Amino acid sequence: MIPPITASRHNPHKQTLASICFALLVLLFRPLHAQTIDDGIMLADKTLCAGALYTHDSWDHYWEGNLERVNGNIGTITTQSITMAANYGVTSWFDAIVNVPYIWTNASKGVLHGQAGFQDLTLAAKFKAISIPVKQFGALRGIAVLSGTLPMTNYTPDLQPLSLGANSKTISGRTTLNFLGKRGLYVNGTAAYTFRGNVTLDRPYYFTNNQLYLSNEVAMPNQFNFGTSVGYRKNNLEIVGDYSQQQTRGGGDIRPQDTPFVSNRTNFSKAGATFKIPVPKLRNIQYWLLYSNTFQGRNVGQANTITTGLMYTLSFEKRAKP
Amino acid sequence: MNRKSKPSKPNTLRRFALIAASIIFAFSSSSCSKDIPSTEVLPPVTPANADANAGSWKMIVLSGPTQVPVTVPAPTNDPGYQSELATIKTAQASLTDTQKTAITYWSSGGVLRWNEIMRELVARSDLPPSPNPDGSYPVPNPANPFANPQYPFSNPPYAARAYSNVAVAQFEALKVAWYYKFLYNRPSPSKVDTSIKSLMPTTNVPSYPSEDAVEAGVNAALLTLLFPTSVDEINAKAAEQQQAALLSGRASPSDIAAGVALGNAVAAIIANRAASDGMKAAGGTPAIWQALADGATARGEIPWISQDGPPRPPMLPLFGQVKAWMLTPTDIVNERATPPPSTSSTQMKTETAEVLNTVNNLTRDQLATVYKWADGVSTPTPSGHWDAIAAPYISAASYSEVRSARVYALLNMALHDAGVACWDTKYFYFNPRPSQLDPEIKTQTGLPNFPSYVSGHSDFSAAAADVLSYLFPDGATNFSALKQEAALSRLYGGIHYRSDIEVGIAQGQRIGEYTVRFAKSDGAN
Repeated sequence: MIPPITASRHNPHKQTLASICFALLVLLFRPLHAQTIDDGIMLADKTLCAGALYTHDSWDHYWEGNLERVNGNIGTITTQSITMAANYGVTSWFDAIVNVPYIWTNASKGVLHGQAGFQDLTLAAKFKAISIPVKQFGALRGIAVLSGTLPMTNYTPDLQPLSLGANSKTISGRTTLNFLGKRGLYVNGTAAYTFRGNVTLDRPYYFTNNQLYLSNEVAMPNQFNFGTSVGYRKNNLEIVGDYSQQQTRGGGDIRPQDTPFVSNRTNFSKAGATFKIPVPKLRNIQYWLLYSNTFQGRNVGQANTITTGLMYTLSFEKRAKP
Repeated sequence: MNRKSKPSKPNTLRRFALIAASIIFAFSSSSCSKDIPSTEVLPPVTPANADANAGSWKMIVLSGPTQVPVTVPAPTNDPGYQSELATIKTAQASLTDTQKTAITYWSSGGVLRWNEIMRELVARSDLPPSPNPDGSYPVPNPANPFANPQYPFSNPPYAARAYSNVAVAQFEALKVAWYYKFLYNRPSPSKVDTSIKSLMPTTNVPSYPSEDAVEAGVNAALLTLLFPTSVDEINAKAAEQQQAALLSGRASPSDIAAGVALGNAVAAIIANRAASDGMKAAGGTPAIWQALADGATARGEIPWISQDGPPRPPMLPLFGQVKAWMLTPTDIVNERATPPPSTSSTQMKTETAEVLNTVNNLTRDQLATVYKWADGVSTPTPSGHWDAIAAPYISAASYSEVRSARVYALLNMALHDAGVACWDTKYFYFNPRPSQLDPEIKTQTGLPNFPSYVSGHSDFSAAAADVLSYLFPDGATNFSALKQEAALSRLYGGIHYRSDIEVGIAQGQRIGEYTVRFAKSDGAN
């Protein structure tokens, strides 16, 4: 069930659908998170929302454990990515989501070699569990998402912070509560728990958490994420403020003057904003701009992250019945 | 309310089930066990040979086994000894799970276990100091080891020296122990009193002094000197080994007391040698660092500079003057590698270009080799890597403890000596790294903070492979392949030229031969 969220004189449905897409936030050496996975909005059935998003993430200050510092051997770490994203409304209560990111990393100082390549494929199934109209004000939705990530290449997780990611298979369960008001008030709350599979290194031992492990296999602590967004969302326009946190349920700290390790306890709080703006005269195309700043953390960089791109919405049902 | 027409319910349910099932299937392999081993799974060792003559094997530091006296034990019918046996019986009647686990752990051989423990201590302390706000670097202080930065920074030379001191001390102490064991011939408690269970494999090695206690005594004494911040963990392991020897019916309290005393005494002799081996001065001074650079400039060469940010003083520039085990200071100079290609030569340009081309066109397999052999910060270092390679060979050979100790003594002496010779060569030529000559070269692993020529990995690995091939001829092909892989990993990583590697291998092999020559004549064959 999709309540009428927006209305436009040309095509109410398409305008509505075009504004329901996903954004990407590059988390420090973590798989990408598509915002559709996090938000409380569903696509109409037989509708595809797809596009390409460019992300630029950089930091020079980082937390070595809880110690805030800079490091002359890396300077500023910049991670750029282009993500091909697609979200398909299989039914009005079930969306399928795919993300394919290609990533470049670079250190501005020191001698370490940047890395480039395809990172982790994200697959997600998003279900609308409940939808409750709230009198004349709007509607409250409950959403459940089952998602997973699968490394697309055998990239190394052992050159942090320049590795493309953790090279871990993950599976994640998420619930989202969302209120969308008829006048555009958007309030979203979401929480996810992610199980992360063991990672295999190219070496027979490693030291982390004050212990030498005699194995090439690394146990990856699971992660808990939650976030909230508040803003305006109407007539294909979205302006939202975001706040999110990650808590890793274990793992060691970055050792003094050492590089990060793949299973480190990576916690952070970040805040930012999301702008989704309809492109004038181009129907069904929406311009996205997302910004976030990691202002508190442990074993992560104080990242400034900007994502920008165009998302296109196509309804197959409309085509079938011109 | 606008509604999309809903597909029929069975259809959507099927889709739901299909997608959910396929996602769960795709990621089910990620939910496997998270239990990662932190100790090696080793079978209990039942020595094939008691090595009854080990008391007469050639010593390395000691003058002979009688340099450390071990008093005559009480006879087995002595009431004091009989009450010791009663203690064991009582304890065996109520073994805890922790005690049983400890017995299993130590029954794989204390020599192997202590090396495994030491690799962890080395990895824990293998951290370069963080820079001060003014760009200088603090130096770890042995007088205040818990301060920041903690003492020591167990970098590859520090670790090579540490492993060798412990391995030699343990080998010397066990030879002394074997001498007295077969002199006094006191059987183990489980043989004296058949009501005492034998919970470790039985051997024909007499019990006094206890070899487990000798190892505990040597290792506790030396490891706490070398890794003072891990003192509690080290002492706990030493106590556990002694208790396991007692509870398993292998050693009585007096066997153990004599062993610990012997181990401590030999450790003191080795510690005394180490105190004056030149290590204290190996860090050099700013004047020495400058003189090294000036020397290279005077020879018309580009001197090495630190590419750490901020630039860090070179790692242990005078380690080449630290006392070796099998080589005299003159030998070290004689074994110094011939000069590298001049930094202005065509050959150096060609070799630098090869590094750039290699590091930018790595295959995934080559990259895996880089990481396998990185042995950088927070690792047991190259010496520990080769000790780990030796471990399964020692375990499979079912050696007596004294013969296992011989393997690690020979191997680690060669590794230390290779380190000394390599450092002598490195600082004699003070040659720049590839990434210094061509800033386009970006490395696939951490860049070591010392001159390039010759490659330490090549030197260490060639010496280790040489000694291990002598000791375990069946493994020679494997050791040789690992040596080549370790050496080439440094070219793949972009941190060494090919000539660093080739000349380093040749030097390491020559150094290894010094130890092999000793091994051929030490009376253990």
